[in-house]
Amino acid sequence: MNFAFTPDQLALAQTVRDVLAAHCPPRALRTGRLPAWDRLAEVGFFGLLVPPEADGLGLGLTDALPALEETGRACLPGPVVETAVAAPYLLPGLPKLASGEIRVAVLPPGAAFAPDADLADLVVVARPGGARLVSRDSVRLTPRPGADPCRPLFDVAYTGSTPLERPLEPALLRATVATAAQLIGVARRLLELSVEYARTRRQFGAPIGSFQAVKHLLADVAIAVSFAAPLVHRAAVSADAQERDAPEPGGGDTAWRDARTAKAAAGEAAVLAARSALQTHGAIGYTEELDLRFWLARAWSLSAAYGGAAEHRAAVRAPVLAGDTRRYP
Amino acid sequence: MDLDFSRAEQDFRAEVRDWLAAHVPAPLPSLDTPEGFAAHRAWEAELAAARLSVVSWPAAYGGRDASLIDWLIFEEEYWAAGAPARVGQNGIFLLAPTLMAFGTEEQRRTWLPRMARADDVWAQAWSEPEAGSDLAALTSRAVRADGGWRLYGHKTWSSRASYASHGFGLFRTSGARHRGLTYLMFPMDEVTVRPIAQLDGLPGFAELFFDGVLVPDSMVIGEVGDGWRIAMAATSSERGLTLRSPGRFLATADRLVALARDADPVLADRAVRCWTDAEAYRLHTFGTARRLMAGEEAGPATSMGKVFWSELDLRMHTLAVELLGDRAGETPWLDGFLFSLAGPIYAGTNEIQRTIIAERVLGLPR
Repeated sequence: MNFAFTPDQLALAQTVRDVLAAHCPPRALRTGRLPAWDRLAEVGFFGLLVPPEADGLGLGLTDALPALEETGRACLPGPVVETAVAAPYLLPGLPKLASGEIRVAVLPPGAAFAPDADLADLVVVARPGGARLVSRDSVRLTPRPGADPCRPLFDVAYTGSTPLERPLEPALLRATVATAAQLIGVARRLLELSVEYARTRRQFGAPIGSFQAVKHLLADVAIAVSFAAPLVHRAAVSADAQERDAPEPGGGDTAWRDARTAKAAAGEAAVLAARSALQTHGAIGYTEELDLRFWLARAWSLSAAYGGAAEHRAAVRAPVLAGDTRRYP
Repeated sequence: MDLDFSRAEQDFRAEVRDWLAAHVPAPLPSLDTPEGFAAHRAWEAELAAARLSVVSWPAAYGGRDASLIDWLIFEEEYWAAGAPARVGQNGIFLLAPTLMAFGTEEQRRTWLPRMARADDVWAQAWSEPEAGSDLAALTSRAVRADGGWRLYGHKTWSSRASYASHGFGLFRTSGARHRGLTYLMFPMDEVTVRPIAQLDGLPGFAELFFDGVLVPDSMVIGEVGDGWRIAMAATSSERGLTLRSPGRFLATADRLVALARDADPVLADRAVRCWTDAEAYRLHTFGTARRLMAGEEAGPATSMGKVFWSELDLRMHTLAVELLGDRAGETPWLDGFLFSLAGPIYAGTNEIQRTIIAERVLGLPR
């Protein structure tokens, strides 16, 4: 048993981190809709989970998880999770997916609007009775107001669609876990920004980070993130195990239990990190001008994406109370 | 990254589970009563005879050379089985790691096998009336004497001291705040012990009065004047892993979920949240264990675990008592609740831990 990422998994994350540091700096969030996407495509990011038959690497979600956390850390815009994580399960044979030439947006069940649909070549729309696949030509998008300037929402109408052959559930499961990983990245960055500011901002003749009230606020963020992250890692391991050991009865429910637990914890940690970052920064944090706003907004938008914490906790409640308290093995 | 236990780890889990199923006694009287203390010592001896009291220690001292992962497995099974509290835990989980890291081979051979069988039961002697969170302000002294050191002063909140045979702690050997402290062991025979009743009415800790107790040089751990560094290394392992492994919180969480099964959704939600938080602590600990096994230091990040488990434990027991109402006192939950209240205080208050996290993990200024 080795509950730690392998050197390969960490090296992949480092590659993505380097690409994003160079090509998705905070100023890029104000100017472009798809910063660093072409560079990420060059390093094979969008083919990580695509099967080898469709020119991908066929990796598991666990392998890609630290890299996905980096996309959250950099506040990377665009339908990242939908294209890199959901699409390989929904459209595994789709040409040009692995190369990053095709982008996919998703309108998940229960959601009103599809984020980043303006950038998508294909929109997957959840509908009772089965998901529909809508191409760019037949979709009509209406922008809707939302909290995150880099993750705009769209009402989706369409004139034509085809049924999606693959089931939506496995893709939603993985998108939920991947979004949780992004939230961990967002939370870590918010904590870093808060620490940097608290070390330099002076009041009463001392850095505000020397005051216990600020220290303990940020210590609580560190604790929340530290104990949410392993739940996210476990959810990825569970999702991969479900794929590997599909015949095991009830295995899918455990994967969902773990995914929901992870998403709730990661969302709550990120929202706490955002709240504490804003409080640490004070009025300057409450401005459009400071880059902090992008990470605040991402914490809010992703914590709601693919189900909020309360919804997931409510869904986990029944199976755990009914006795699904299985651990490993 | 995986969560697949090896064949050997699964076999070990099965052995521990089977042994406990056959041997765990009916609930013992509190270990803070004379008869309960004796019963808990007898249980430790039985565990030791099966070489299960200190599985992660070297075989030479009564252990099995088990890995940290095996030890975590043992703990999960131990608490899930409802086995008794560990009367020797101050020695096993605080003093022993210190002796392993800083003691001499002679000290280890003298004290560890006896500790593993609970022949000796050790009390800790850190706090003083004027030195709690500010531990380095302590004033109890060790004075050079023929054949060793004479101890003088007043310790308090000394866990297990009411019945223990031995103690260990820090004593001042010079005026320097940190470098004037020395780590010493002592027999309790000549120490004046005044038991202190805790919230449950039983003497779980005591005051200790030293009036020239003579201890030989062989009772000094490490160098004279190096006690602060040694003690801090030990408390960091205490906070991190050894004092409160995930096993006990997993067992509590499972029982809490069972208790909340028919509760209204608001209360049930709190129970399930505790259950998932206990899982988080378990998974986090597997990651920490792996880093320690790879030779890395746990370091100040272990303070996060101490805050997390102590506040989780308090939430779990608070909810259980709320669910049970007037009936709480008829169950073990009430004693558990009282004990959980101490968690955010002992082993370094959670305020001290949060300051450590802020300064040494996050890098905020002192």
